[in-house]
Amino acid sequence: MSEYDREEDRKEDHGITDSHSGMPATPPMTDAEAHVHDEQSRTLWGDAWRRLRKNRLSLIALVWLILVIVSAITADLWVPRLLGDPRAIDSSTVMVNQLKNPSLSHPLGTDDLGRDILGRLIYGARASMTVGVAAVAISVIIGLLLGALSGFYGGMVDALIMRITDVFLAFPYILFCVLILAMLPSSARGIGPVIISIGLLGWPSFARLFRSSVLSVKQNDYVDAGRAVGASDSRLMFRHIMPNAIAPIIVYATMSVGGTILTEAALSFLGLGVQPPEISWGRMINDGRNYLISNHPGLVFWPGLAIILTVLAFTLLGDGLRDALDVKMKD
Amino acid sequence: MGDHLLEVSGLKMYFYTRDGVVKAVDGVSFVLDKGETLGVVGESGSGKSVTALTMMRLTPMPPGKVEAGDAKFKGRSLITMKEEEIRKIRGNEIAMIFQDPMTSLNPVYKIGRQIAEPLVIHKGMSKKNALLRAIELLRLVGIPNPEQRVKDYPHQFSGGMRQRAMIAMALACDPDVLIADEPTTALDVTIQAQIIELMQELQKRTGSAIIMITHDLGVVADMADRILVMYAGRPVEYGTTDEIFYKPLHPYTWGLMDSIPTHSLVEKTALNPIKGQPPSLIDVPSGCAFHPRCPYAKQRCTDEVPEYRIVEGTHGTACHFAGDPGFVRRLLENAGVKA
Repeated sequence: MSEYDREEDRKEDHGITDSHSGMPATPPMTDAEAHVHDEQSRTLWGDAWRRLRKNRLSLIALVWLILVIVSAITADLWVPRLLGDPRAIDSSTVMVNQLKNPSLSHPLGTDDLGRDILGRLIYGARASMTVGVAAVAISVIIGLLLGALSGFYGGMVDALIMRITDVFLAFPYILFCVLILAMLPSSARGIGPVIISIGLLGWPSFARLFRSSVLSVKQNDYVDAGRAVGASDSRLMFRHIMPNAIAPIIVYATMSVGGTILTEAALSFLGLGVQPPEISWGRMINDGRNYLISNHPGLVFWPGLAIILTVLAFTLLGDGLRDALDVKMKD
Repeated sequence: MGDHLLEVSGLKMYFYTRDGVVKAVDGVSFVLDKGETLGVVGESGSGKSVTALTMMRLTPMPPGKVEAGDAKFKGRSLITMKEEEIRKIRGNEIAMIFQDPMTSLNPVYKIGRQIAEPLVIHKGMSKKNALLRAIELLRLVGIPNPEQRVKDYPHQFSGGMRQRAMIAMALACDPDVLIADEPTTALDVTIQAQIIELMQELQKRTGSAIIMITHDLGVVADMADRILVMYAGRPVEYGTTDEIFYKPLHPYTWGLMDSIPTHSLVEKTALNPIKGQPPSLIDVPSGCAFHPRCPYAKQRCTDEVPEYRIVEGTHGTACHFAGDPGFVRRLLENAGVKA
């Protein structure tokens, strides 16, 4: 058998270029053609997922985040049993268990109060993730609303909203969070106020981003075409513009979750965020900072590493999403 | 008068921009009756599209402003009616087909859903019924295998198929008037002919009136009952298709006619384009806007804006010398030399 015979026959590409198939003279589709056609009938989200899967870094980031989230959600089921309750202080055994080096029963060692560090990291993920996602969600909702109004209607509405946005952008972000939280009595501090204060200050970038996105999508002929078939303003906004303008928001929101986790960590480190016995990664660094120089750097190292990895994962995932959602990057 | 389906009278649409006032539409009038086809012809920037968009109230206002005139549809003014009312007319009683089918369909929705949209908006149809009707419509416009094709996204359609889909969408609610804004310009020549044929066939079936906007007199020759020729936002000639083709009055119309390529294989003739560029609509030439490019222009053409006047029946033009024997002789001589 010759080389040529062994080679597989070239598959005909029945792409989308059959411009003449509009004519009645088109022969009926064969099974093979119908199959190819089915493969093309994929959704845009399916396309995006296919592209994201090809990006190995993003995929690793996604796996890491899923791991963190799943273990945080299911923590109650297995952490206390395997590692001891990382929130409780057992005063009878504190002296025996405190500041242990990593071992089989405590994979990352224990802290100054004899609590398992891995267990605390897993519980801490709850606070960090909740704050990250919830605060960004608040920012996104406000930002989408204002950005949509601004970009869609333009003129006076746009000018007014954008000036308000400018003012909020000029706020020293962290300082302002610190100020708001510092005014609260320590009994009222916790996850809720952190989410609200970060969420209420984070929206301006989303508003700006979405406004510019809406402005560019608005130029498209299909928006005019939508108007020409009698679509109302809200229908145009939600059905025609929004789905085409949302991609940059998804990307930026994903990256922002990482940034928000950092902010939460900073606030908790300053003692303004999550209060004991609740656990957050920033809080853990704060609690462990006295042991940094006394031969027990693990107390700071592990939560620090968790923050870095998670923030990095969100950034990488956002990066991958940006490429995956970009229709122009069709491979 | 008064009982026409669509009656546009003295419509003026000005855009107030930083660089000055753009007189995009400057006194356009025409009538359209049921089942009729009107061809609106002119170069780029002659105000053809803006005329249509103004009637649909789709021009951005501000900076646009209807300076004068009116467009009456079934006796009601499209210009002054409330936004909710015009919305009920758009896509329902007056539908529009855009120039570029590649960008006129929303990339994130399936074809079927987009064709179904006017039905959901205007006829209150359920999504399921609207989709069934979308399949019928796709079959009507000659898309094979419509049951499968409604599930496709626009990027899976070719240009010609997309324009067919756009036509299907425009016809969904059985409109009385169909405005086609250069529906074939973005397509291959072979596909162009198919689309024109399709529109004619569908018009026979549905009886809707068509406003065909084009820069190509050849496109409207077979199709239109009446033709409006526009230049620099102003109407320069209006009449039945026969009048425009056999007894053109305005030198601009003559020029357009001359620039249609002949399909003779035996005798090769050079194309005769109209020399010069269409004028800027901010700085329209004095007098007759066409005078800088008109080979027959006299001093009067520079000084005086020609009034639109009826020359014979409904056939009218805005040229000082239309019908003037000396002028007609020159025109014929010129044409004779070229032939």
